[in-house]
Amino acid sequence: MPDTAISTRALIKRYRGITAVDALDLDVRRGEIYGFLGRNGAGKTTTIRMLLGLIRPSGGEITVLGRRIRPGEATVFSRIGFLVETATSYPNLTVRENLEIQRRLTGSAPRSVADSIGLLRLDPYADRRAGQLSLGNKQRLALARALLHSPELLLLDEPANGFDPAGIVEIRELLRSLADERGVTVFMSSHILAEVAHLADRIGIVHDGRLIEESSRDELAAKARAFAAGAYTPEEREQALLTLDLERYFLARTGEGPHTGEGSRTGDGSKSGDS
Amino acid sequence: MFGQVLATEFMKLHRSKAPWATLAVLAMMPLGIALFMWIVREPGRAAQLGLLGTKANLAGLEAAWPEYFYMLTVIFGIGGMLLLAFIVAYLFGREYSDATAKNMLALPVGRHWFAVAKLFVAAAWWMTLVIIVIVEAVAIGLAMELPGFSAGLAATGIGHVLLAAGISFLLAPVVAWIAVWSRGEVAPIAFSLVMLALGNLFGKTGWAEWFPYSIVPLLVGMVADPVDTLPAGSCAVLAGTFAVGVAGTILQLRFADNAQ
Repeated sequence: MPDTAISTRALIKRYRGITAVDALDLDVRRGEIYGFLGRNGAGKTTTIRMLLGLIRPSGGEITVLGRRIRPGEATVFSRIGFLVETATSYPNLTVRENLEIQRRLTGSAPRSVADSIGLLRLDPYADRRAGQLSLGNKQRLALARALLHSPELLLLDEPANGFDPAGIVEIRELLRSLADERGVTVFMSSHILAEVAHLADRIGIVHDGRLIEESSRDELAAKARAFAAGAYTPEEREQALLTLDLERYFLARTGEGPHTGEGSRTGDGSKSGDS
Repeated sequence: MFGQVLATEFMKLHRSKAPWATLAVLAMMPLGIALFMWIVREPGRAAQLGLLGTKANLAGLEAAWPEYFYMLTVIFGIGGMLLLAFIVAYLFGREYSDATAKNMLALPVGRHWFAVAKLFVAAAWWMTLVIIVIVEAVAIGLAMELPGFSAGLAATGIGHVLLAAGISFLLAPVVAWIAVWSRGEVAPIAFSLVMLALGNLFGKTGWAEWFPYSIVPLLVGMVADPVDTLPAGSCAVLAGTFAVGVAGTILQLRFADNAQ
């Protein structure tokens, strides 16, 4: 079994003369969490769509889990879970029915629907129509669908979209446990450095379609510290600490005790993300 | 795998209002025809309805079973092309308007199965509507005690209705192709409206036999005298249109970019 989960070589995508992805060479190791960081329009979503065979590369090669990816060929997708850009589902169907569709089309066991509902804490909403869910719970449903068939590789495009701070922490812990306990490879894109820095083992920074930097989280943190040393005024540092304190206080007040070192879940924690 | 895909395509219709809306629209048609027949049969009472009565008389129709079946055939043929366009646009286009196409196309399922299953669902949906509304129409005709009924006439009339409905379905895959090409529901419906207008135009210029959307008007006698059997050229055109539509839809799903 190759050690690489995702490999791209000279990957290019052009749209009517605009180069969205430019000679991208990427290697994601099995079992790691790889953060694909870039500003809006950097080429993150286009790359993920090419990895999933949703769009055709203008040039280059893609290998995922040891297989070349060609648009329209479906063989490898039973081993991949994904969330592309916005969390979408059939609005007239319930959470359970949406997942049942995924279960049937991935050939998963009947039990997997209930398992994924439990894993993403969607039990209170299982029989609610997807169109009536809050943004956060729609995102949970999309993640439940991605995880339902126990994939070896997760391709997640902005997975924290729509989550409140408590939800972000919860999803972060879930992805960490999937990587550590089940050996799932996670490739996640984001435009928020803090989100990636908390979770990823390695981080690639993409800009104008090119991978301009790639390093481990610790290396990147060290570089960032050196770069920003002395750049902040005492007031700015105080403001940053205040932001962290406020977030911690908010999490404690809304029942996220385990992440704050105080209190415990109040039992209505499932309300997080619900409007 | 096709069985699972087909089952999920039917599941996607749960609680959807679209099947009920199409049933409501089609079920209104025999009622409309019946009203027309009643106005023709009861001109005195219909006169109280003003212009509606005048129009009905101007049409020169008879309130009898042959006329009734003729109008049903027109409705299932011409109206069917439009209603089927809505059905197919909904089944294919909603995957893009709900932004679920990207989820569907990156599953471990050959993309051609989705195209075939959706067309199968469209056929089942359309056939269910046709059967329900034929039963409704016959019941209304019998309740109105229209003259001229016979088993032979009913068989021929229903046969024409089913033929018109079937021809309409052969044009549906092209609409599916437009839906996946345009990634939505508006373009395929607009395409069908334009084709219906062109069908009427080409029919009157004598090309009805060769233009797919003129063949139903040709069959029912809208653009010329009605024909008993379709010309061989028309059958080939319909078969070709169906094949091109299916192939185009599958190739579009398989090879085109799906950057929703």
